[in-house]
Amino acid sequence: MADLSLTVRDLSLRSNAAPLSTRISGGEIVGLAGLDGHGQDVFLRSLAGLERNSGAVDLQGNRIATFRDAERNAVVYVPRDRRSTGIFPGISILDNFAIATPGRDRRGPLISAKARRARYETWKERLQIKAPSPEAPITALSGGNQQKVLLARALARDPKVLLLNDPTRGVDVATRLVLYDLFRDLAAEGMALVILSSEIEEILVLCNRVLVFRDHALAAEMAGEAMGTEAVIAAMFGRAA
Amino acid sequence: MTRIFGRYGFAIGILVVLLIANLVMNPARFAPGNWPTLLGLAAPLIGAALASTPVILAGRGGIDISVGPVMGLVSAVVIKVLYLDAGLASPFILWPAALLIGAAIGAFNGAMATVVRVQPIVATLGTYLILGGLTLTILPAPIGPAPDWLKAMAGAWSFLPLGLIAALWWALCRTPFHDQLMAVGSDDRAAYTAGVPVSLTRFLAYVLTGLLAGAAGMMLTALIGSADPKVGANYTLIAIAAVALGGVSLAGGRGGLLGAAIGAVDIFLLQSLLTAFNVSTYVLQVAYGTILVVAVVLIALQDRSTKRSHA
Amino acid sequence: MTLPLDSIKARVLGAFAVALVLHGIGTALIPGYSAPFAIRAMLVIASLLAVASIGQTLVVILGGIDLSIPFVIGFANVVAAQLYGQGWHFGLVCAVVFGLAALIGAFNGALSRGLNLHPLIVTLGVGMVVQGLVLIWTKGFPSGSAPKAVSGFVSIGGSFGPLPVPALIPTLLVLTVLIVLVLERTPYGRRLYALGSNPGAAPYALINPLRIWTVTFAASAVFAAMAGVLLLGFTGSAYGDVGQPYLFQTIAAVVVGGTALVGGRGSFIGTIAGVLVLTEINTLLIGLNFSPASVQAAFGAIILLLVSIYGRERHFRTTV
Repeated sequence: MADLSLTVRDLSLRSNAAPLSTRISGGEIVGLAGLDGHGQDVFLRSLAGLERNSGAVDLQGNRIATFRDAERNAVVYVPRDRRSTGIFPGISILDNFAIATPGRDRRGPLISAKARRARYETWKERLQIKAPSPEAPITALSGGNQQKVLLARALARDPKVLLLNDPTRGVDVATRLVLYDLFRDLAAEGMALVILSSEIEEILVLCNRVLVFRDHALAAEMAGEAMGTEAVIAAMFGRAA
Repeated sequence: MTRIFGRYGFAIGILVVLLIANLVMNPARFAPGNWPTLLGLAAPLIGAALASTPVILAGRGGIDISVGPVMGLVSAVVIKVLYLDAGLASPFILWPAALLIGAAIGAFNGAMATVVRVQPIVATLGTYLILGGLTLTILPAPIGPAPDWLKAMAGAWSFLPLGLIAALWWALCRTPFHDQLMAVGSDDRAAYTAGVPVSLTRFLAYVLTGLLAGAAGMMLTALIGSADPKVGANYTLIAIAAVALGGVSLAGGRGGLLGAAIGAVDIFLLQSLLTAFNVSTYVLQVAYGTILVVAVVLIALQDRSTKRSHA
Repeated sequence: MTLPLDSIKARVLGAFAVALVLHGIGTALIPGYSAPFAIRAMLVIASLLAVASIGQTLVVILGGIDLSIPFVIGFANVVAAQLYGQGWHFGLVCAVVFGLAALIGAFNGALSRGLNLHPLIVTLGVGMVVQGLVLIWTKGFPSGSAPKAVSGFVSIGGSFGPLPVPALIPTLLVLTVLIVLVLERTPYGRRLYALGSNPGAAPYALINPLRIWTVTFAASAVFAAMAGVLLLGFTGSAYGDVGQPYLFQTIAAVVVGGTALVGGRGSFIGTIAGVLVLTEINTLLIGLNFSPASVQAAFGAIILLLVSIYGRERHFRTTV
């Protein structure tokens, strides 16, 4: 997996915006920062094949132009708004977890409750999901635990690239720490992670590299020592650091 | 003006085409001297469509399928109970009675939908069945006649009820109620956060629907000149079809009474054109269905393209 | 907060209990209410409604509604009789009728979802067209009849092996088990509930809304057609309006059975319970010599009562 690489070439985040190119490798955690609506969201969605912009996104030479392409190439996107685009409020925790991968629990034509349960338990352990019973409705969980279930849903698809849109929004501090550890582990296993966050501190703590967006263009790219709160904020507001 | 035309464009387009076709095919029937009679013929459907509109505008699945049965009940009570049995003939008693019955049923539906919080289609389905049964119990068979002044409202005076409704709606559009209704219909959470009394607005929409359904019941009675327990219910679905044809979004918050009226006139003109051609009612039904589906498809496509051009 | 899943089970059990109580009242008040023939008649009538309600249940779980069911019932009823009367093999007749029904339904679903149109309008419009075309084809006077086998299949006096009920009843039981399995234990079933519960989240969870709407409405129309063919056997001759009572009855059965019209919730077992309640009310009131008009009014009142008790929506404020 070491040679996993997601290549972005001449991607314009909207018409007349300066195109950007970058390369994201397996094992890397890349942060996306910027003031709300400055293109980082479009960038992340472009990686998932959810936007139609000029430019190209390739994973190992496979073009990712549509959401179907992303699906086939194990590029998994976790949307931002939990309530409107994440959870299915009417159904159980177990269903919410397994809904994107129901075929894996199938024995013959029917879903095996046992297989599904076993698969869920593995992720429950790893993500430390605190839930009364897997049959309880997802809405019985706290925001943080709902988010863990959504991550479990995404991870069950064995992603090579995981695209997270503000994954710790509305999540308590204890859960955040669990998630940070998880993200680091996943990266250590060779997965590429791209994390959009509205909190600069989080990016600094978590990421190897940060892309700062301004006016739908890449304003700055920093890694390692160069990454600092001041520098990121300066780039966000378009000032020299 | 372009905005209004945009939303009603399809309905107005059909209107023009059908009107010309009708004038050519059947000039005698469509001579200006006949217009009051024609309006009287179209009035019950127009009334039913107008009545169906406020609750649909109020959104969140708002719909009133009891409009047709309300018309039937109003007709039965006004003619059988009040006019023939109790001998009350004055329009100043019968009209208020009709409106009161309609508004009371509307208030009941509104309470079911907003206080008890039963889904509107289910709540009004219950009312539909109750009213249908009640009407048949009061009036097992058609009975007549209607008072002469009422029959005149399907002839020379046919513009009067519809004109009053138009005036009422025009006035309502100048009160905060109209804005609140549209706000509630397009996004009730946002409206609630902005301080709009959402449940009250929805409730009043049901009352308004009931009131208009009562008026539509009088127009129906005027047209058939008697009371028939079976005709009312037929208006429910065709009225909703007219509303959709007139560009009122069933998701709420978009459209208005004018569109609904145009949609109803379209259906009426289609009816009269096909009758002039001497086509069977079967063909008429196919034509209704096709136009309904084509209309909602075109309106949806139009909405899409406007959205895209704004983006 | 959404309702705990248990309360849905409670509703279904509640509906069954209401049916049982109604049956008890009937037995106490009306002589012969529980006689074998009366029970068989009720079972057959309930089963026909149950078949017609399968599709409505699926569509409502999806968050839609299907008003074309009565028209498709009438379509299947008339077309099957007509074709069989012209000497077609009955297997072929069924293949044609069900195939056309599937196309009608698929069109309903694909159009509603694809263009984001309200299914109420689409299914109403398509239903009117279908009925009109059938009327034009038969010139309003359908002819033909059902094969003996179909009549025997639904005959109140019929028997199935040692069982004193027509084959329709055991068939419906098998069908019920299949529907429940499909809903509870297949990817399609789970996706159906998920899509109904939050359409906005579906695409991210690899659910294809267009495909599921198309398939589900097609299934709804096929079950309606099945009901139409069975009704042909039941009444003996074709009648284009035979489906009309089913327009509101299927919706009522679904709702009384505890399935919310907002989508994502409900079960076919609940619908069966709803069907039993409706059949009991109908039989009871007619048995008590109420006029059809009062039966209808009572029907409406009882639906409102039941739904007020357990069919309430969340306050929109809780969704802010």
